[in-house]
Amino acid sequence: MMTFITKSRRRIIAVAGLLMAVLALVSCGRDSATEALEPTATVVASAAFQGLDLVVPAPYDPPISMDSVISVDATVKFLNDDDIYNNVWTRAYAELLGINLGFKWVVDGSMYDQKLGLSINSGDIPDMFRVNGAQFVLLHEAGLLADLTDVYAAEGSPNTRDIMAQDPVALKAATIGGRLWGIPLTDASIASAPVLWVRQDWLDKLEIPAPTSMADVLEISRRFAEEDPDGNGVDDTVGLAVTKELWGPSASLTGFFNGFHAYPHIWIERDGALTYGSVQPEMRSALIALQGMYKSGQIDPEFGVKDINKVTETIAQGKVGMEFGVWWNPYHPLYLSQQNEPDAYWSPYAIPSVDDTPAKSQYSSAVGSFLVVNAEYEHPEALIRMINFWTDNIVRTQDDNVRRIFLGDINAPDVVLYKYTIAHLWEPNAILSGGRLLREALAKRDPTGLNLDAQWRYRIIQAYFEQGTKEAWVEVATNGPDGSVTILERVAEDMGMMNRFYGTPTPVMAEKMAALQTMEVEMITKIIMGDPIERFDQFVEDWRRTGGDAIIEEVNVWYADNR
Amino acid sequence: MQKKTVFPLMRGSHLTMTLLAAVTIVYGLATVLTGSWLSSQAMRGLMTVSAYRTQLAGFEQIAGAVASLLLLVLFVLCAIGSRGSVRVAFATGALASAGPALVGRAEPLLFRVIGLPTMGAGSVLSSAVTVLAYALPLTILFLLLAVGRNNPRGCRWLSMASILVVLGTALFPVYVTVLAFLLKPGDPGVGAMMDVSSRVMQLRFILPGLCLLVLSILSARYARVHPAMPDQIPE
Repeated sequence: MMTFITKSRRRIIAVAGLLMAVLALVSCGRDSATEALEPTATVVASAAFQGLDLVVPAPYDPPISMDSVISVDATVKFLNDDDIYNNVWTRAYAELLGINLGFKWVVDGSMYDQKLGLSINSGDIPDMFRVNGAQFVLLHEAGLLADLTDVYAAEGSPNTRDIMAQDPVALKAATIGGRLWGIPLTDASIASAPVLWVRQDWLDKLEIPAPTSMADVLEISRRFAEEDPDGNGVDDTVGLAVTKELWGPSASLTGFFNGFHAYPHIWIERDGALTYGSVQPEMRSALIALQGMYKSGQIDPEFGVKDINKVTETIAQGKVGMEFGVWWNPYHPLYLSQQNEPDAYWSPYAIPSVDDTPAKSQYSSAVGSFLVVNAEYEHPEALIRMINFWTDNIVRTQDDNVRRIFLGDINAPDVVLYKYTIAHLWEPNAILSGGRLLREALAKRDPTGLNLDAQWRYRIIQAYFEQGTKEAWVEVATNGPDGSVTILERVAEDMGMMNRFYGTPTPVMAEKMAALQTMEVEMITKIIMGDPIERFDQFVEDWRRTGGDAIIEEVNVWYADNR
Repeated sequence: MQKKTVFPLMRGSHLTMTLLAAVTIVYGLATVLTGSWLSSQAMRGLMTVSAYRTQLAGFEQIAGAVASLLLLVLFVLCAIGSRGSVRVAFATGALASAGPALVGRAEPLLFRVIGLPTMGAGSVLSSAVTVLAYALPLTILFLLLAVGRNNPRGCRWLSMASILVVLGTALFPVYVTVLAFLLKPGDPGVGAMMDVSSRVMQLRFILPGLCLLVLSILSARYARVHPAMPDQIPE
């Protein structure tokens, strides 16, 4: 008996060993994620920023003062005893650059333009501040802006120049008369390019192939509306989501028009001159197609009164099968589809074409505002140094410690630190480069080298494929192997149609464009709902007569100088 | 002091118990290998997400149905071939045979047939239900084997350990998923747990199957070393 028990125990130990071996076997071949890349920057010692690898120039000695202005919304939160006048950014500028940054005033974002206008009119102009396009032109014409051409040429770091070069029109937009008068606040222009989103689970259920042409889109829309894809036995689904605004980041018609080679609301080149996309003949065939879809119940009969919130409800209820939106739509509103249908999955598709010529997704430069320096300020190069600090150390960093200190801590997600400084801009191609790195990591099944944010995305995608967590589809559909970011890459290569006008609003444009666009929305809405297509011809005539021709003329004068 | 009488888990051959373990292990391995291959193809961009979803769903439904049927038959045969609390244990364990079938069917069952609200976490809920449907009966099975005083001591200890294995492999991935998607999204600490969870999930069927296999071997060994007199074996 003793012999047996001893052997039995040995067996148990052997079993335990076997179980451990199986665990080890399943785990093998997976490298654990590493936290950071090797530092490449110069180590800068500072009392408050000791140990961080930061690249900074020699600080001003003695320190200089800089007065600015800033908008701080109610949502902006601070750590400990910090406030907008004393925080990690003001301390970094003071200790690392020798710039004592102060704010003449702080207002809510909604009041910023008005308050800035009052300041300028009263002659109380800050040393460095943010302006929109119209203010930029006005201040330049008044001779109130410092010429940044030479200081940018002398002090702009390679990172700053590279980020500016990623948007081919960024610096041009800040250049007047061949001189640079501001630093454009860049962002991802390509992010506004439309993408077609389709309920893939409905496509699979009805055994419909993926759309490759606008004819396919129309057929899919018809079948989604007629063949009860949600399986509830009620005729309550529509093919295409459209809001009453017609345009916007989701449930928009921009992508639909692009499929017909029409480019509403942007300026395109025809015969060497710029012309407005909304009044081109290509709009006609798209409008006729939309009218047919509405007539046969493929578009919500009440779309003309439904804003994006109402359409979002329809998406959440699982009653819509397609929408033209932007790359990030799964984060909102498409993720809501899973509220009622856990298996809901939207796939992104590049905009299909109505004919053999590939369709192009339209987009506009994301530069909408500029950082400028008061013409009387003695240190215009200080702005370039602040921008360099951001581009050299923050926006591209893979160092999680730097990200935590200057951008925010994952344990305090509502404290967004970069909002304390106006000297921040975004890398236009960051979505594309980040997506590429993530897909490479997925292909290798190894997240080593990704920053914390990308590692999290990696794991979410991994959870979808390896653990069956269907809620993770949002990340798969955007940053996954066939995600919407891959479509943006193609748009950036040769499938994009960029708005050729990136200047500030011309005088007539500033005065009349809003009314002309309202007229356009009315025309499109009424034609979709059944008005004769000849209404479009009348609209073009009216548009030209009531200011459109004058705007075209102004835009082409601008184009002659900025071609 | 009355002497305790110890019997092997099965009255006769341990073949059905060994087969039960083998089917569980083979099903577990098949799901791991197929899932890994499909996910690898999809993550490398060699297969569309749509194709991945379709093929995985097809595999889960067919393999799950076959495995469930086999497990049910083998559990019943094990119950017939055992006695006393062991018979009750296998009879209870038979409920776990629903687990594989539920893997591909829990969502429509819960949210379409029963009409439960998904609360935006449908796959997490259905996964939890599937796990419970599989793990709870197995836990009771191993518990009964562990407390059965007539069972060989080695089998009792191993059964006790198996309870931890079953509950651990079943609940840890659900716990991590809830942390990752609902409670602590973006937390690096949870990220590391997700890596472990992914591996543990692959062992959800294999480890309990291995436990059953070793139990069968231990019991068979005991039966060989201690052949029972015919009048000692209760019917």
